[in-house]
Amino acid sequence: MHMEGIDTMLSARTLFEKVWGEHIIVTSPQGEDLLYVDFNYLNEGGSFLAFDQLRLEGRTSRRPEQHLAITDHYLPTINRAAGVEGIPNPEIRNVVAMMAGNAADFGLPHLNMHHAKQGIAHVVGPELGISQPGMLITCNDSHTATHGAMGACAIPVGASNQLRHVVATQTVWMKRPRTMRITIDGALGTGVTAKDVILSIIRQTGIGGGAGYAFEYAGSTIRGMSMEGRLTICNMSIEAGARIGMIAPDDITFAHLAQCERAPKGEHWDRALAYWRTLPTDPGAVFDRELHLDAATVAPMVTWGTSPEDCSPIDGVVPDPSSFDDHERSRHVGRALEYMQLIPATPLSEIRIDRVFIGSCTNSRIEDLRAAAGVLRGRKVAVPGMVSAGSSEVKRQAEAEGLHRIFLESGLEWRDSGCAMCNGSNGEIVGPGQRCASTTNRNFEGRQGRNAMTHIMSPAMVAAAAIMGRLTDVRHLTSP
Amino acid sequence: MQPFTILTAAAVPLPIAKIDTGMILPGRYMRRHRRPGHDYSEAFLHDVRFDENEQPRPECALNDAAYGTPQILLTDADFGCGSSREGAAYAVMDYGFRALIGPSFAEIFYGNCLQNGILLVTLDEAVIHQLWAAVRARPGSEITIDLPNQLVIDPAGARHSFDINPLRKERLILGQDDISVTESHGAEIVAFEAKRRMAFPWLPITSQA
Repeated sequence: MHMEGIDTMLSARTLFEKVWGEHIIVTSPQGEDLLYVDFNYLNEGGSFLAFDQLRLEGRTSRRPEQHLAITDHYLPTINRAAGVEGIPNPEIRNVVAMMAGNAADFGLPHLNMHHAKQGIAHVVGPELGISQPGMLITCNDSHTATHGAMGACAIPVGASNQLRHVVATQTVWMKRPRTMRITIDGALGTGVTAKDVILSIIRQTGIGGGAGYAFEYAGSTIRGMSMEGRLTICNMSIEAGARIGMIAPDDITFAHLAQCERAPKGEHWDRALAYWRTLPTDPGAVFDRELHLDAATVAPMVTWGTSPEDCSPIDGVVPDPSSFDDHERSRHVGRALEYMQLIPATPLSEIRIDRVFIGSCTNSRIEDLRAAAGVLRGRKVAVPGMVSAGSSEVKRQAEAEGLHRIFLESGLEWRDSGCAMCNGSNGEIVGPGQRCASTTNRNFEGRQGRNAMTHIMSPAMVAAAAIMGRLTDVRHLTSP
Repeated sequence: MQPFTILTAAAVPLPIAKIDTGMILPGRYMRRHRRPGHDYSEAFLHDVRFDENEQPRPECALNDAAYGTPQILLTDADFGCGSSREGAAYAVMDYGFRALIGPSFAEIFYGNCLQNGILLVTLDEAVIHQLWAAVRARPGSEITIDLPNQLVIDPAGARHSFDINPLRKERLILGQDDISVTESHGAEIVAFEAKRRMAFPWLPITSQA
């Protein structure tokens, strides 16, 4: 091998290593890196503790323009015109009001409930082009890895101490994670989506398999995916235990950014683009772990348990806890099936549901709504449910395309944008003992409400379940 | 953050195992502002201290005036287990405790307390039982915690040494939390920002101080 070749191999770096390395200010004797935060999103959930503490300490925001406060977790999806005073629950009203007060006191730009761009942080950031390749981004939310689909290194931070540190210093202390590349190659079958790919990955890694790793999703399947699909993939990295999940920026990323209002313009665009093209993982770069998935083997997935790894292809059956070799896993499945009121060997497509939810930072973008509407067009739903667009912009576009009429005519509700029924912070919950087919990211016990049972799946699969009143293979749904 | 060096203060026993963060800071207080004069002191272990009718539980030593104004809480095993809510550490601090001594503490809670200048000391269960007995025998008796020498001196004058991570110890003695450590790198951060603004002029890195 030529010397040059060896040098190339030694200097070959991954996408993650390039972005992380570019943000190290100092490294502590204990090996933690002090990282510069290019941009921080923050929501109302818990962040008031950070601001209260900053206030008690007499500290201010170091770089207010590098933050965006977004009210998303606690906002009801109806009756927005009535304003904060129109929120019936006083505790929820108070949390929403505190966010506005804290953003104002610390000079942070804020998308409040009436803002034309209001939405879920992980939908709005990429939509406005604030999240860009090569950036280091933080947010006080566990699904922050979503922005990694733009080629950014996006990391969740704790809502009080860590957020307080980011606001005061525009930096964060972090231990560098190891790297794992997940390569998905091949064409996805009909009715198979990004959601099914990420659920298949989580099924393979388990919910702890990615802990301590930064993921990079690669391969021809990812390259062929839209921006929306990539955002769905990165969004659920944390469900495999990884706090960071990234996808190399390419022409699809650049074409998206070229239309965004907050993306660089003119000469800045040219310079940014030249830099962004240097970011993808170099040939020969080494990952600590590699995982492969054949796209042809991915089927539409549904969860049957109380953890995102508890999922199977829709043509499968509820598993028998005793079929798992691992004792802990077996015990978990037993407890999960008890909570979910399911009997082993029941075909998944025979599980009846009580309601549906289409929304959340995982699956509420325009492509998701088109997919659901495509299934619902000309049909009636058998169970009630709501559709909440991921942002006010997505809502307007869906209305311009007439998708809202398809949802309304099918019998679903068409709601304003927010985290909504994904975790019910805003009071919109699934009733006790009710079973919900949901496009969200977590099916933990009580996630959508006390004793509520959640089955997560793709938007098209939720639409199919809504029509049939039971979990349904969207590929077998006959024309209306 | 207030530095922690040597503390001599009254100690109060709380012999209940597995006090979780939900008991330390009940969920209903979690959406509440912390302001001077309206902090989490009321919330701290509220349901351990008071019954359903808001009457002080007589069996709870925290309600016994004989203990004076204790700044040291003598806990039982697994104190601070459960959710990672950082407000639990604020509740401990707002109530007035500067140190907790117990047989074991949950890891996240331990980190959150030290981050806020509250020292958590782990001693053998037998020693903890002696400390409970000593302060119960004479409510209001004082215990000394000497952090530089890593010693607890009980009311009878017996010395018990304890372990602590050297970095955490140094930060407590200096009164440095994460932010003050970071602020000591202020010049490096300013230089980093200037370099980054030059190299990547499209980023929203503003220059005003």
